[in-house]
Amino acid sequence: MEELIYKLKEEIIDVLNLEGMKPEDIDENAPLFGEGLGLDSIDALELIVLLEKNYGIKLKNANEGKEIFKSVRVMADYINEHKTK
Amino acid sequence: MPKIVVTGLGIVSALGVGKEVTLQHLRAGKTAVGKLHILQTKHDELPAGEVPLTDEELKQVIGLPVTEVTNRTTLLARVALKEALADARITPSVCDNIALISGNTVGGMEKSELYYRDFLNNDSRNEYISMHDCGACTEMVAQEYPGQFKLTSTISTACSSAANAVILGANLIKDGMAEIAVVGGTECLSKFHLNGFNSLMILDNEPCKPFDAQRNGLNLGEGAAYLVIETEESALRRNVPILCELSGYGNSCDAFHQTATSPNGEGPYLAMCKALKNSGLTINDIDYINAHGTGTPNNDECEGIAMMRIFGDKMPPISSTKAYTGHTTSAAGSVESVISILALRHQFIPANLHYQSAIEGHTFKPVTEVMENVSLKHVLTNSFGFGGNDSSCIFSAYREQGTEDRIQNSEFKIQKAEETAHSSQLIAHSSRPTYIRAASQISLQAPLSEQWFDAPVIPGTLNCDSQEADYAQFINPMAARRMGKLFKRAIATAVDVLRKGNCEQVDAIVTGTGLGCIEHTEKFLHAMLENDEECLPPTHFMQSTHNTISSQMALHLKCHGYNCTYSHRGTSFDSSLLDVLSQMHLGDIHTAMVCGHEEMTPNYFKLLGKIGYWKQDNCDEATLRRHDSKGSFSGSCSLNLLLTDTASADNLCAIRAMEMLYQPDNEQLKRCLQQMLQGQNLTIDDLSAVVMGLSGDENNDEVYLNFAQQQCANTPIVWYKHLFGESYCASAFGVYTGAVILKKQRIPNHLIYKGVTNEGSPVKHVLVYNHFQNKDHSLILLSSC
Repeated sequence: MEELIYKLKEEIIDVLNLEGMKPEDIDENAPLFGEGLGLDSIDALELIVLLEKNYGIKLKNANEGKEIFKSVRVMADYINEHKTK
Repeated sequence: MPKIVVTGLGIVSALGVGKEVTLQHLRAGKTAVGKLHILQTKHDELPAGEVPLTDEELKQVIGLPVTEVTNRTTLLARVALKEALADARITPSVCDNIALISGNTVGGMEKSELYYRDFLNNDSRNEYISMHDCGACTEMVAQEYPGQFKLTSTISTACSSAANAVILGANLIKDGMAEIAVVGGTECLSKFHLNGFNSLMILDNEPCKPFDAQRNGLNLGEGAAYLVIETEESALRRNVPILCELSGYGNSCDAFHQTATSPNGEGPYLAMCKALKNSGLTINDIDYINAHGTGTPNNDECEGIAMMRIFGDKMPPISSTKAYTGHTTSAAGSVESVISILALRHQFIPANLHYQSAIEGHTFKPVTEVMENVSLKHVLTNSFGFGGNDSSCIFSAYREQGTEDRIQNSEFKIQKAEETAHSSQLIAHSSRPTYIRAASQISLQAPLSEQWFDAPVIPGTLNCDSQEADYAQFINPMAARRMGKLFKRAIATAVDVLRKGNCEQVDAIVTGTGLGCIEHTEKFLHAMLENDEECLPPTHFMQSTHNTISSQMALHLKCHGYNCTYSHRGTSFDSSLLDVLSQMHLGDIHTAMVCGHEEMTPNYFKLLGKIGYWKQDNCDEATLRRHDSKGSFSGSCSLNLLLTDTASADNLCAIRAMEMLYQPDNEQLKRCLQQMLQGQNLTIDDLSAVVMGLSGDENNDEVYLNFAQQQCANTPIVWYKHLFGESYCASAFGVYTGAVILKKQRIPNHLIYKGVTNEGSPVKHVLVYNHFQNKDHSLILLSSC
């Protein structure tokens, strides 16, 4: 699990171009949107692409992301449960 | 202010070709959204409003040989334009002052996505490279009507492009820059934007349900529509039926988010308010709103809130007609203007299809059944685009009674024609002054400075990139993370020019960009082809729409003022300047940012090189001066000019006059220049210099040198592309060079191409002359302050 969390942080930094950020800088329990990292709706769409591309998880509706992207840990849990690759 | 009337309409959409069939379908409540048949895509599960004719069939409609090399965006435009011109009885002999303003965003992408690999790897499809950009489509339409149009331009503000074309056309007429304007937009379906909208997750797998609580996205459509607009006097003089009046319009920027509308619908609210104010009407006068109503959760909710803010409990009947045609994006503004005018003319309200229940918080319900025999006098239509480029237009029943009957009466006709011949001459260029207050550039030269004027960098290589500024001082890292270099340059120069001009906010931001963020366009195209239309990054698509540059600046500066983008090849910047000048002359705006932003990527450099844009070896000054081979050297460019109508000793120069001409001959150029100078009580001899875009390309330079020989043989010639490179927006640097020369009152030797300047004598007037491939030309007269 911790391995997946670290890998996921690296992938998020890469796909969202969070320049100058290291995986250690992201608190896996902090919210990704709003107060925490301060991401927005376009970032959510990029994360949806990440889920599909790297883990074979296809979301039908952008709204589903709201629950999944609560924090890196929640996202990792969801991936563990639903990944197809 | 002259009354602007509509005298011609032309339309093609999924509903079919022409007004009649469009009207029949609307009245029958019949949707044309369905399964894709013509566009070849993996995502044919997505319903769309596809024009039910193949390219070959469209060619037949307009009598073209099937072998004609063109693209679908252009074909759709030509079909609609043909109908509009015939409707308004426009022929080359009717008037020599007609503007063609067309909006599109996807350009030739539907061919580029098919042939992109060929473009890069072989020469089999080279003929399609030059028709990729938005301006090429307008050009291909205009060239079918030799001598018909005095000036042409292309607007690219995504889904509000055509509405903004209507607005520019009306402003040009009011300012006396055109007598008649043919305005509208065109867009064909492409895999590129189908996948782009899909990556934003805003496409519905079912027919769209505008304003319904359960709405789940939009259906894309395609089509084209054009309106012929002119002054009432012009229409009466020409004895053509007046279909309705264009009584008002407004353009505003939401300045909230790149793709989403603000929760309280600020941009839409301001656009509608401006349109009402411009028309002099009140909320009680509006009898029907043809809403933007795309069917996305965000748009419909926010548009509804904006309408409720304005109309309160006096909400007129509302419907969105997107469920009939699909969202025709760049054409939507004119497609829905035509629909609104049909409703007005035939006194009916089209139904909002697939609606069941109201969105939470909405206190209104759209019209769900076609309403016949209603009394419509004033119809408002909304068009909103990515980047918060929001525009509204109001069409009104023509107030003079029995116009068409009167035209039957020849006696009255003659009398009226005589009366109006005088009044039409009253519309002349306004003399309201305009000034360039400050400038900021990022180019091959030292960034954000005027070092180039005395200590220029000599580029000399084939594909030069700009010298970057320190962007951290302008943009925070979170905002910068999605930005390509063109955005960063645009924002840095925008902030810098305001600082230099000691100005806090502007009334308008208008940007010229021939290709937009080509880096992002390429990335999305590449991903789409490599990943077989799966897992596509929304950021790249979003940044590929050309208007994101202008709207990013608005977002950064929180500027809700007028916002527009021109993508008209080598006169993209000139078009932007023309737009701003017309609005300043009319007193609608008092300050504005006029920009030119262009970048180059290795791949696009290669493609344009294949069709002769760039020299293949040496590009030093001596080679450029020989101008005995094809091509120039490419430069990326970012320039922001701050314009004001307030005189000040700090201003760089005054802009005294401007004209744009499409395919003029020597005589027309001569006449235009003479009139321009005479209007300012000047002669050729008063010009201290003529600034021209000499670039080393044999054909390009021949046109410039011919102009110099024919029009101003004794005037010193200043050049600038040897320092800034060639690009679609390079002409911005011509105006900039002229302005700095006037401010500094001297012309350094390295800027002189030919001729001798009298050292020490004042530099009073400078002419800036630009042309693109001898098609679009512009003349700009600058004077010292």
